[in-house]
Amino acid sequence: MTASFVLTLGEYWLWIGALVAVVFLTIGIDRIDEDARGAYIFRVLLVPGVLAIWPLVLMRWFTLETGRDAWRGRHTTERHIHAGCWWVLAIALPLIVLGGLALKQNWPDDFTPVRIGDAQ
Amino acid sequence: MSEKSTPFFIGFLPVPDGLRGFLMVACAGLVIAFTALAYMIGTTQADPGPAQFRFDLGAQTLTGTMTALPYPVLHVTNGTETVAAGRSILLSANGKNGVQSRIEDGAVVTASGPLLQRGTLDMMQVRGGRRGIKAEPDVTAIEVVSESLGRWQMAGEICDGKCLTGAMRPGRGIAHRACANLCISGGVPPVFVSAQPVEGEEFFLVGDSDGNPIGPDLTEFTALYIQVEGEVRKLGDMHMFLMDVDTIKVLP
Repeated sequence: MTASFVLTLGEYWLWIGALVAVVFLTIGIDRIDEDARGAYIFRVLLVPGVLAIWPLVLMRWFTLETGRDAWRGRHTTERHIHAGCWWVLAIALPLIVLGGLALKQNWPDDFTPVRIGDAQ
Repeated sequence: MSEKSTPFFIGFLPVPDGLRGFLMVACAGLVIAFTALAYMIGTTQADPGPAQFRFDLGAQTLTGTMTALPYPVLHVTNGTETVAAGRSILLSANGKNGVQSRIEDGAVVTASGPLLQRGTLDMMQVRGGRRGIKAEPDVTAIEVVSESLGRWQMAGEICDGKCLTGAMRPGRGIAHRACANLCISGGVPPVFVSAQPVEGEEFFLVGDSDGNPIGPDLTEFTALYIQVEGEVRKLGDMHMFLMDVDTIKVLP
């Protein structure tokens, strides 16, 4: 059930990505990137990327379209949370490895097979 | 520390004094940490076991009678030094595929291909087309005896027979679960590895309680250590375990 839910979610994600790719690569890219105007073949190469990260594409499109892009400060947020991420990973990764080792099943080599019924 | 006095590391220049101590401690710490991690992970992994493709033996050509259920088994009547007449051997095709579409129950065939071996368990990866499986209409089929060895409660693991016998190393365990289920859904015979031998055998061809191929209700437990009840049968020289899915318990 979980697997089919994840697959269905992925399917919807890709369909929305396809829609975004069509609109962005035919209309949007010309509006936000003057270097792309008049160039078409390379847009096909962008399709897989747009399918994968279409929310980011939409966000950047919106930011650039509305003139809110402050390129000097584009990475400020990431730089501010960098140390926090470092600590989270430094603690979480060993915990995940140790948790995996602790939860690992043990081979039941002490289990003796039991005959519970006769031949049929 | 002010912005002005912050040491800045550039790879092609000497290490700034303020960073030298930190970098030495960090380097030593990383070497020790990764050595310890590698040791810890390495020592907690199960031995992949004595399983391998036997390319050293060359392609084997075996003639015998096929049984189709729960999975294709060749009961050898004309064998080789390695797989003698009287043995029963599992068959698979190349990759993660079975040979169900290429055989008929009760037919006599000549099968050819490389062997995979793990202990007493043999599997042949048959070649493609008629070079791999050829019908022998002029040879009389033998009667393959199916004998019940009683109902048993066992503990162990459902694996796919191909990776278990050496196509992958390791070919079992939780890390191999997705691969095993892909193999089984492709028609590769699943094999139950018992924690202790039953009737002298630790490997059992798996079927459902009706003797048919297993479905998603059983593949859900592939690669987990389980306790399960079912009927043990001997089909020719092949031991089978026909599992009752309702009795499965996942072990701690």
